[in-house]
Amino acid sequence: MLIFALLGCTATELSQSWRIDRLRVLGVAAEPAEPRPGDRVTFTSLVVSPTVEVATTVWFACLTGGDDFGCVVDEALLATLDPSGELSSDDLEALYAAGFIGAEPYLPPVWNVPADALDTLSAEERPEGLTALINVTAIPEGADLEADELELAYKRVPVSEATTPNHNPVIASMSVDDVVVEAGTVVSLDRGQPYTLTVTLADDAAETYTFVNGDGGEESREEEPYLAWYAEAGEFDQTTDLWPNFEAIHYPPEDASEAPTQIWAVVRDRRGGMAWTSLSVRYR
Amino acid sequence: MRVLLLSLALTGWARAEPPAPTDAPVDELPPLLKEPALVEFVEAPYPEAARAAKVEGKVLLAIDIDATGAVTNVEVLRPTGTDLGLEAAAVEAARTFRFSPAEDATGPVPVVVEFEYGFVLDAASQAGAVPEDLPPPTAEELPVNLDGQLVEMGTRRPLAGFVVRVEPGGIEATTDESGRYSIRGVPAGAITLRVIHPGYQALEQPVQVSETELTTVKLWLRNESYTTSGVLGVYTQPSPEISKRTISMEEVRRVPGTFGDPIRVVQTLPGAARTPFGTGFLVIRGSNPEDSGVYVDGIRIPYIYHLGGFESVINPDLVGAVDYLPGGFGPRYGRSTGGVVDVRTRVEFPERTHVTWSTDLLDSGVLVMGTAGKKDQHGFGVAARRSYIDAILPLFLDEGFVARPQWWDYQAKYQWQGDGPNEFSLLIFGFQDTLIVSTPPGFAQSSDQDGQGELGTTYSTHRILARWEHTFSETLALHVTPSFGNDYAQFSLGNSWKLEQTQWMGEIRAELPWTPNEHVKIVPGIDFIGGIAPFSITLPFDPAQFAETDPLAEREPYVVEDVQPGWGPDIYLLAELRPLADPERLLLTPGLRFNFVSIPGEYDIYAFDPRLSGRFSVYDGGRLKGSLGIYHQPPQPFQSYRADDNPVELGFERSLSGSLGWEQDIGPAVQIDAEVFYKALDNLVVGNPNFESLEDPFFVNNGVGRAYGLEVLVRHAPVDRFFGWLSYTLSRSERRDQPDEEWYAFDYDQTHILVGTAGYKLPWDIEVSAKAEYVTGNPTTPYSLGVYDVDQDQYQAFATGAPNSERLPPYWAVSGRIDKLFTFRAWQLNLYVDLLNVLHGTNPEFELYNYDYTEKSYIQGLPFIPSPGFEARFQF
Repeated sequence: MLIFALLGCTATELSQSWRIDRLRVLGVAAEPAEPRPGDRVTFTSLVVSPTVEVATTVWFACLTGGDDFGCVVDEALLATLDPSGELSSDDLEALYAAGFIGAEPYLPPVWNVPADALDTLSAEERPEGLTALINVTAIPEGADLEADELELAYKRVPVSEATTPNHNPVIASMSVDDVVVEAGTVVSLDRGQPYTLTVTLADDAAETYTFVNGDGGEESREEEPYLAWYAEAGEFDQTTDLWPNFEAIHYPPEDASEAPTQIWAVVRDRRGGMAWTSLSVRYR
Repeated sequence: MRVLLLSLALTGWARAEPPAPTDAPVDELPPLLKEPALVEFVEAPYPEAARAAKVEGKVLLAIDIDATGAVTNVEVLRPTGTDLGLEAAAVEAARTFRFSPAEDATGPVPVVVEFEYGFVLDAASQAGAVPEDLPPPTAEELPVNLDGQLVEMGTRRPLAGFVVRVEPGGIEATTDESGRYSIRGVPAGAITLRVIHPGYQALEQPVQVSETELTTVKLWLRNESYTTSGVLGVYTQPSPEISKRTISMEEVRRVPGTFGDPIRVVQTLPGAARTPFGTGFLVIRGSNPEDSGVYVDGIRIPYIYHLGGFESVINPDLVGAVDYLPGGFGPRYGRSTGGVVDVRTRVEFPERTHVTWSTDLLDSGVLVMGTAGKKDQHGFGVAARRSYIDAILPLFLDEGFVARPQWWDYQAKYQWQGDGPNEFSLLIFGFQDTLIVSTPPGFAQSSDQDGQGELGTTYSTHRILARWEHTFSETLALHVTPSFGNDYAQFSLGNSWKLEQTQWMGEIRAELPWTPNEHVKIVPGIDFIGGIAPFSITLPFDPAQFAETDPLAEREPYVVEDVQPGWGPDIYLLAELRPLADPERLLLTPGLRFNFVSIPGEYDIYAFDPRLSGRFSVYDGGRLKGSLGIYHQPPQPFQSYRADDNPVELGFERSLSGSLGWEQDIGPAVQIDAEVFYKALDNLVVGNPNFESLEDPFFVNNGVGRAYGLEVLVRHAPVDRFFGWLSYTLSRSERRDQPDEEWYAFDYDQTHILVGTAGYKLPWDIEVSAKAEYVTGNPTTPYSLGVYDVDQDQYQAFATGAPNSERLPPYWAVSGRIDKLFTFRAWQLNLYVDLLNVLHGTNPEFELYNYDYTEKSYIQGLPFIPSPGFEARFQF
C-alpha cells in the first residue's frame, strides 16, 4: 500500500473525517468521567449537522455491554420514540429494561450507576473496575429509522473505585493567531491567509493518576491527551494534535460564502474524559 | 564426360536461429544430439557452358534445413567466379536434397549447414582442355605477406573456420581457433579482403599490400543479430516433474513489465495468480504466498523479491534457468503445500571476460563473469546491485517527509569443471532491503501516542552454498549441497513497536542417484534444515489487553526475548521408471518423503508424503501426464511460539493434490499444454477463535481449503523471428477457518487469468514485445454503516456480506517493450524502454472506504509509465 502511495497511485478522493458535511456525533462527555457505583452520571454530547435538523438524540447505557458496539437495541423499540407517536407505559418499561437513559431534547440523559455494579469484582480488581457502554443515536427530522439515515455512536464509561478517578479535561481558551477568542464571537478570516489556531487547556488538565500494573504494583502516570480538529470548510495542515502541541494552521476556503461556519476542537484524554470547544468564523 | 561429386562433406553446421542462423556462438547453444545427414542427394546437371569451356569449380552453399529435414532455403556463400552457371545448378539441386533432421534435447530443430558442391569433368571431357581460368597455383615457397585476426564485432570473440578471401586473385585462407589467418604470395598493391559467412554481414575491406613486407590486418565481422534466443529445453523435455515449465532466458528478458527479471515472468504462466503490483507475492494454484517454496540451487530462501516485488534478489544475468513447479512435484521438494520456484544459477561462463553494467529506473548493477585456466575449467561470476529510489523520492515529497526504500544485493559464483569425476561450485549471495518512513517533527501520524516516530523495516539474507558432484561410475553419482547463512527481519515504529528476528540456518541437500540401466533410476536424498532463531518483541501493550479490545485500558509495555531452535532432517526416495522398450514412451516417478520438524520445547511432528507422477507418450507429439500426492507443511515460525510455558500444539498443514494433463505438439514450434488440478487442504493453521488470554494458544489447526481448476498454455517457441505464449487459468480456491463457519473465497481467488506474451525480432537488432493481461478481480468483503467510536475518534464497520463475497473490478493491462542493440568493436549497448500499461487501464488494486464507510473507492495500479534502461556489455 505504501508503495502505491509513493508512486502516486491515489484513489478517487473520499470524504474526510475532519470535514463536517453530514450529521455527526463528535463528542460525548460523562460527568463524572469515571463514576463509582451508585453515582448519578449526566451526559452531554456534541452533535453537529449542517444539512438536516436533528429531531432527537436517544441514549442507552449498558454496564457490561451487549457486544463490542454497545447495547443491543431492538429497532422496533427505537421506533416507539417517534415524537409524533404515543409512548405507552409498556413501551417505556421496555425501553428502560433495554438500558434507555434519555432522549434529548425531551429527556436529558441520566444514568444511575447500580450500587452493586462492582460486586462481582475482587477488592484488587475494583480500582480498575468495569466499563459501561453508552449508545448514542442521532435521529434526523423525518428519518424513517433506517440505519443508514441515523448517526450511531458509542462511548465507554469506566466505573471503578479508583483512588485517582479520571476527570474530563477542561479547555481554557481557543485563540486565532495568538488572540484569544471570547465565546460567542464570530471571527472573520481572509481567504488565502493561513491562521494559527491554538487550544489551551486549564492548568493541571493533564492529570497525574495512579495505575495498578499487571504485577500489582502502583505506577504514577500523566495523561497524554490529544485534540481533533473539525470544520465545515477550509483545510488544516494536520487534523490531529498531540499533547502539549494543540496547534494547527487553518487555511480558509477559496470559494466559501460569507455565512458563518463552525470549527470544532475536541480533546480526549485517552481515559474516557472529553471536552470540546468551537469557533464561529466568517470567510471574506 | 561425366559429372563428379567432388565434395559432399558438410563443412560446418549451425543451429538455425532466425534471422541469423549462426547468430549465437555455437558453443553457447545446447549441444546437438544428432547432426543432420544427407539422405537424398540430387545430382546437378553439368552446365553446358561450363562443360564446353572445360571449366571445373566448387560452390560453397548455405542450406537451411527445417525441423523435418526439408530444405527451406539455399544461398551461395562462395561462388566459383566463372559465371558459367555452376552456382545456379548447385542451388537448384540442393533445393531438392533431403536430410534427416538435426536434434537436440528438445527434439528436432532447424539448422543451417555449409555444403560444398563440386563440379569436375571426367577424363574424356578434359582431353585437350587447357583450363585457362583456373586460379593460379599457390606457391608454398612464397613468404607470408598478409596476416591478421578475424573477430566478432562487439564481443571480440575470435571467429574460427571462417574463409578470408583476397580479391582479385581469389587466394583464400581459413582462420584458426584463435581467429588468425595468414596468406602467402598476395600480389602487391590495392586488394580487398572479403569475408562472407552465414549469419554475418559480408565484409569487404580494402588493404594496401606490399610484396616484401608483412601486412597485418585485424578484421571485425558484424553478426547479423546479437539478440540470441537460446532454446533451453522448454517444457517439452520429458521430466520427472510433470508440471515443470521452463522457458528460455532470452524470452524471459524480453517480457514487458518484468524489468527483465526471470522470476517475475513466472507470474505470466498458468497457475500463478496475479498479485497486486508492488506486493511481489507468489500465489500458485490457490495457495497462500507462504505456502510456496522459493529455492536457489535447491536451497530454500525466505524472500525472492526485493522490496515492493519489482525485482528478484538474484541478478538476472547469473540466472541459468528458473524451474516453475505449480504442483505435482516429487519428493525432492517439501515443506510446502503450494508450488515451487527453483532459481538455478548459471553453470556455464563465457570464455572471454564480460563486464555488464545495467541501469534502469530502480537500480544499477555491475556483473563480471568469465573463465580462467588453460582449459577454461574455472568459471566465475561476480555481481552487485544497488537501488537508488531513496535518492529520487525525496525530490517528489514535501519537505520533512522522508521515504527511503533501499535495497542491495550481491552474488559471487565459482564453478570448477575438471576432467575427472568431480565438479565443484561455490555460491555466495545476499541481499538487504530497508524502508524508512518518517514525518516532520511535531507532525501527528495518528491520534495514538504510541503510533508516532519513524517507521522502519529491514530484511536481509546471506548464504554460502557449495555443491560437489562426484561420479563414481556410469551408474552411480553423489551430489552434495551444504549451505549456511542467516536471515534477518525487523520492523519498528518509533520506540514503542519493534519486532526483530535473526535465523542462523544450516541446510544440506544430498542425493545419490543410481541408474543401473536406461529403465530405472533410483535417487535417495536428504533435505536437512536446522538452526536457531533469536527474536525479540517490543509492544506498547500486553497482547492479552489487545484481546479485550478496550482502548481505555491502561497499556503496559510488553517485551519478550527468546531463542527458538528448530530442525528438520527430511529424507526422501524417488524413482524414475521407464518400463517400456522405448524408455522415452512411459515415465513413472513414484516417491516417498519423510517429514520431520522439531521445535524443542514446543513440538516434534512427523509425516509421510507418498507421491506419484507419470507421463505417457500416447503417440508422437501427444503425451498424457498426471500426478497424485500428499504434501505437508510445518507451521510458520511466528506461529510456533507461545507466551507461556505450555507447548505449542500445532501440526502440519496438509494437502492432497492431484492433476491430469495433456501435452500436444503442433509442428516443431507450437505446443499446447492443458492440465486440470484439484487440491484438498486440511489442518490449516488459523487464529484461535477462543483466544482470551496469553494462556490460550494463538493458533489452531482448524482450517480447511480446496482449490481446483484448469490451466492451458499455448506456446510458440523462439523460431524464426517470433516467440510467444498464451496462458489461461480457470480456477476456484476457497477456505473455511472453523468447522461451524461458511466457506469463503480465498483472498487471491481469481476465476480467470489470461496472459498473452509475444516478441518479434525486427531488422537492425531491434526487438519488440508485448504482454496483455486480463484477470478477475480479487475477492473483497463489503462493509457499510460505520458506527462511531467516540473514544477513539474512528468508525467501526459492519460487514454487510460474507467474507470475500464481492470482488474488485477485473484487471486488464497491455504493456510493451522495445529493445535496440548497438554494437561497437569492443562493446555493445542495449537500450530499451518498458512501456507499462500502455492503454492506461485504471486497475483497482485495493479497496478503500471513507471514514464512516459510506463511500468506497480504489487505489489504482500504475498508470502508463515508460521505464527506460540500458545494458552495456564489455568484452575483454
